[in-house]
Amino acid sequence: MKHRGLTTGAALAFLLLAACAKAPTEQIDAAEKAVKDAQQSGAQTYIPQDYAKLEGLLSNVKKEVEDQNAKFALLRDYGKAEQLAASVKAEAERVKGDAEKKKEEAKNAALQAQQAAQESVKTTQELVAKAPAGKDRAALEAIKTDVEGLKASLNQVQMAIDKGDYLTAQTNAKAIQDKSQTVANEIQQALSKVSAAKGKTHPKKGK
Amino acid sequence: MTVRFCSNRLRRTCLRAWPLVLAIGLWSCAQGVPQELVEALDRLDHELVAHRAAEFTPDEYAQFVKRWITLRGRLQSEEDLIRWPWEPNHFETELRQLREEGVAIASEVARRRDLQRATAEDKLARVEQRLLTLNQKISEIDGRLVLGNKLLETDLLVKQARTFLAEGQFDRSLRMSDLAGKLLLAQSTVLTAELGRYADEARIEAWKIMAKRTIDWTKTHGTTGIVIGKAERTLTLYKHGRKVLTYPVRLGYNGIREKRYQGDGATPEGEYRILRKRGAGQTQFYRALVLNYPNAHDRRRFQEARKAGRIPGERGIGGQIEIHGVENELMAQTLGCVMLDNQQMAKLFDLVEVGTPVTIVGALNSHNSVALALANLGELEEET
Repeated sequence: MKHRGLTTGAALAFLLLAACAKAPTEQIDAAEKAVKDAQQSGAQTYIPQDYAKLEGLLSNVKKEVEDQNAKFALLRDYGKAEQLAASVKAEAERVKGDAEKKKEEAKNAALQAQQAAQESVKTTQELVAKAPAGKDRAALEAIKTDVEGLKASLNQVQMAIDKGDYLTAQTNAKAIQDKSQTVANEIQQALSKVSAAKGKTHPKKGK
Repeated sequence: MTVRFCSNRLRRTCLRAWPLVLAIGLWSCAQGVPQELVEALDRLDHELVAHRAAEFTPDEYAQFVKRWITLRGRLQSEEDLIRWPWEPNHFETELRQLREEGVAIASEVARRRDLQRATAEDKLARVEQRLLTLNQKISEIDGRLVLGNKLLETDLLVKQARTFLAEGQFDRSLRMSDLAGKLLLAQSTVLTAELGRYADEARIEAWKIMAKRTIDWTKTHGTTGIVIGKAERTLTLYKHGRKVLTYPVRLGYNGIREKRYQGDGATPEGEYRILRKRGAGQTQFYRALVLNYPNAHDRRRFQEARKAGRIPGERGIGGQIEIHGVENELMAQTLGCVMLDNQQMAKLFDLVEVGTPVTIVGALNSHNSVALALANLGELEEET
């Protein structure tokens, strides 16, 4: 009789323990936060594939929890979900670190391109001051307008950098540098023509 | 027969070894997951990463990743599991299914990527062509300044689109091309608003009347008169109602526009007279004919524009509008004047007097160069 009572007690204790199994909410929340942090660090832009995998891992955790929730209360086991959540968190932290590195690389590239563009525009501005008006005042005014426009566009590069959109900042800076060099070449050609014309008109001055 | 040749010792060894032989046999028959299948899936995953599956087929790739992660997890937990040959291996079946799905996704990624590349290339090519045409058209009519920075902004966007395309970032390239396309449309609108009067029949009719009045005046008074057409950039001298000569001219650097204020580089439109003749030594431009700009009509229009807030800052109405030669290479004063080659200027200078009427009009026919350029730009808009 005594033996039977003990068995029943043990069974009840087991049932109570089993009924107490709860989803690892805290770990899942921590994993979700880590994934969000990774996203905010720019993972979606700079390492989209890794981020996609991370999202896959997170949804796996949720699926596991759902699967367990669907089971009869006494048979639920959230051990695997807990383990998966921990691995998602660890992976998210790694992805976040990698994204930050990539973002930093993109930032440096954007800053370099910005500097190169600034120098190029400055050189072109100096050339404009020497540019001959010649007979084509309209062309000179157009060049001046372009150079003013290039200066204004440099602000857009800065704005893109401030927003953290380094890819756009970099390509914009490159485009500005490219256009600035084209304008500088136009002025150089005009200067060469004027020098040549002066040489023909006033050959003695060359001596 | 074999047993007969076996020694007792050998027979005993054979008997002891049979369970081992059986175990090896069964082990070799027991089903695991083929390693090459796992490796193939791993390669496929890397391939999908390399081809930016997350970008081109986000949902399908996310599904693939989710399943692959689950199956990998199972792969580790089932490593030690032995299945008998007669047991169905669902796990392997699932892996094979996933591989098939992965292959399908890779193919879909390639298809969408190619499609996006083609779309981006096509869009960019069209925008580049439109930009080229716009550049050509406005160069033909000297209207580049009318657009201010807009052309440069478009050019920069097109360059960015080209860079993104080269880097395989087709979506960004498309976005830049879209922005450039919108800017091009806006520029067409600006050009139409600023220069639309060159295609306006009523305005052209009014200009014709102005020119006719000048020509009639030369007939009535038996003297000379000048008509300058801005669109075609010509100066025509009339005497006794007849055309005497026509010379090509250059206008202010922003001459195609309607003059609004000092320093805008525009050449005024209206009916003027020669106020003064400046000969050699009296002008830096070889010879010059000073016009009576601004006249009463110009002043009235300027005041109205100022009241309406269309005149920036403290700008004045301007003055010193001349017909002159090209002596001064720097052309510092050519902010709205009409310029001729010196030889032609010399001839004109001798043929006109103070008081000679000078009428400056936009155009005298509806097929003028500006109207035609605007019509071509309209065709570009329709393509968009």
